[in-house]
Amino acid sequence: MGTRFYALLPDLEEGKAERLFYHLRGEVNRIEQKMSRFLPESEVSRLNAAAAGETVEPDEELFDLLQACRYIWEKTDGAFDLTCRPLMEYWKDKESEADEDFQQVKDRCGFQHLLLDPDQRTAAFTRNGMEIDFGGLGKGYALEKIKEMILNTEAKSAFISFGESSVLALGEHPAGGAWKIGMNNYLDPGKTLHEFRLCGGSVSTSSNFRVNDSGRLVNHRHIIDPHSGKPWENLSAVSVHAESPLLAEMLSTACLVSESEKIRSLKEAYPEVDIVRADYWTPEVVVTSY
Amino acid sequence: MNRRNFLELTASLAGTTLLTTTMPWFSVFNQPASFGKGAGDRVRIGVIGVGSRGRALYWNLRELQQHMNIEIVAVCDNYLPHYERAIDLTGGEAEAFLDYREMIENVELDGVVIATPLHEHAQQTIDCLQAGIHVFCEKAMARTLDEVKAMYDAWKESGKVMLIGHQRLFNPVYLESMQRIQRGDIGPVTMMRGWWHRNTDWVFYRDTDGRGTPLDRQRNWRFYDDYSAGMISELGSHHFQVANWVLGSQPLSVMGSGSINHFKDGREVWDNFSLVFKYPEDIHFSYDCITSNKHNGMQVQVLGNDGTIELESNMQYEEFPADPPAVQSLIRDIEEGANETIPIGGATWIPDAPIRLGGRYISPDYELNDTLLYMEGFINFIREGTAPEKLTLEGYNASTWTLLAEEATKTGRDVTLPEKYRVSG
Repeated sequence: MGTRFYALLPDLEEGKAERLFYHLRGEVNRIEQKMSRFLPESEVSRLNAAAAGETVEPDEELFDLLQACRYIWEKTDGAFDLTCRPLMEYWKDKESEADEDFQQVKDRCGFQHLLLDPDQRTAAFTRNGMEIDFGGLGKGYALEKIKEMILNTEAKSAFISFGESSVLALGEHPAGGAWKIGMNNYLDPGKTLHEFRLCGGSVSTSSNFRVNDSGRLVNHRHIIDPHSGKPWENLSAVSVHAESPLLAEMLSTACLVSESEKIRSLKEAYPEVDIVRADYWTPEVVVTSY
Repeated sequence: MNRRNFLELTASLAGTTLLTTTMPWFSVFNQPASFGKGAGDRVRIGVIGVGSRGRALYWNLRELQQHMNIEIVAVCDNYLPHYERAIDLTGGEAEAFLDYREMIENVELDGVVIATPLHEHAQQTIDCLQAGIHVFCEKAMARTLDEVKAMYDAWKESGKVMLIGHQRLFNPVYLESMQRIQRGDIGPVTMMRGWWHRNTDWVFYRDTDGRGTPLDRQRNWRFYDDYSAGMISELGSHHFQVANWVLGSQPLSVMGSGSINHFKDGREVWDNFSLVFKYPEDIHFSYDCITSNKHNGMQVQVLGNDGTIELESNMQYEEFPADPPAVQSLIRDIEEGANETIPIGGATWIPDAPIRLGGRYISPDYELNDTLLYMEGFINFIREGTAPEKLTLEGYNASTWTLLAEEATKTGRDVTLPEKYRVSG
């Protein structure tokens, strides 16, 4: 999944922790084998290879996940959309404005062009050249499965991290109390903008920038606004705290490309979820907790 | 890596040991030979052998034609269907021959590209060099050590360019990797491993009259001991060259064993073999090949005390990667019994760098064709009338050790290079 996987299992004795870690790693690899669009044999690649109108029968797990994605896609008014890969490629290294190819690429994106038949449990693209990309979501999904696995063991607490953009904390911190996870200030690394208290939940962070060598924030242009088809311009990071790692991942992705009003209505729909946005395009960092 | 990144890389390496000593041929991309646009400045190329590899090389030359002043003026193949196909391929614009000797006698050529069966390489190369024509010859050089040495001697005498088609020599991932290895990024190199595993009967042509017949010997020449050392020369030689290059030396000796244990169809060459090369400083390179199982695919690994480079998959792995800051402080807190807020949020998902678990790509988005770069180099060297000697020696040393490895598998002995074949490097 293009990231490093960490598991801290503080209360297990060494042999048991090691065995559990091997199981977790095996699960992560299993998901990677199934969901990676880079592996030609994966379930996702099999779907991505389909031409318009061609019916594919994804395995049960992938079909269920696609249905969950459709549900959140609807809930977020299309802000969460796994089919924007062609646009991502289009904007990669592109310094200029959209050209005549843009509309043609945009036409190949959009979850509405993926038909899911819940009775036959089949999927079909309605446009040629479409692609499902579980790149970011895979981590949230893996954490979801890992969470179930750990809850079925004798481990009382655990901290799991996927490259720090998706973390899961179960039970209590060994020193007592909840796990305190801070939202990093990218302009002053190591300083916390907002604190989440986790016991049995997950925090997922999405942002549309990277920090360059001189410490400045640069839009990496990988975050596409599914509505406009263009990279999301305002530099922001969104962290979402939810009990479900998968939901946290989906909502952080969606909220990054949503206006405040929409985020507020999502918060109303999911009152138990914390959504925090840090805006870096303003003169000072502005933190909004929804 | 695209062409622009590649040129930036070679420019940034100008003047370093890497580009002056280890792989000087890459300089040609920074200082390409000056090219006139007129017909008189056109580089005239002939192609000898238009089978599977020859046709690929032909298409590479055609691609170069779009921005280099070259012309494919002659093609040759002694197998009638390929001869006819060559005429089709060139649209009749190149003169076609069944006999290469007629070709070099009748057509004015600056260079030839030879892609014929292994046992034909030596005579063809020597004839061309003696006729004053620069040569690019597919690997390996020849079927016997005496022929390899004869090619070398003919090259020395002719003063022409003679290059052997180990295309990894022109692969920018290898260039980037060599830079990292020499810089010590993976620590001291303590071993190399390589393999080429496929699940195939390796039959190139099925419409022959059966194994052992004259037509099959001509078409499926890779199966016959007179013509080829089988996978040792046709596959392994690529990686033997890479090992020599990475370790900066030819081997001291080679041991090995081979057998035919699955494809017992009358072929005369091993369908599996295993080799151990010994290099200076007590370093080993182990290499094996099999045609009945493809699970492991193809790979060359450079094992260092601090990391591993997988050349064929463009990957680098660290032995002891540092923990990210958040995990470090979390562990420190737990050890000290403290519960402080841990700021998290590393780099967010960057989807165009498909890093595999535990490793990272040496050159992400790699999109160059090393065979095409090699051809471009060849054309430039023809213009200059000379090529770096080291480039030819890479081919020479790979070819001698290919044949010595074959001998090791046939005799079971620890084989060394007879002095009469030692040239230098």
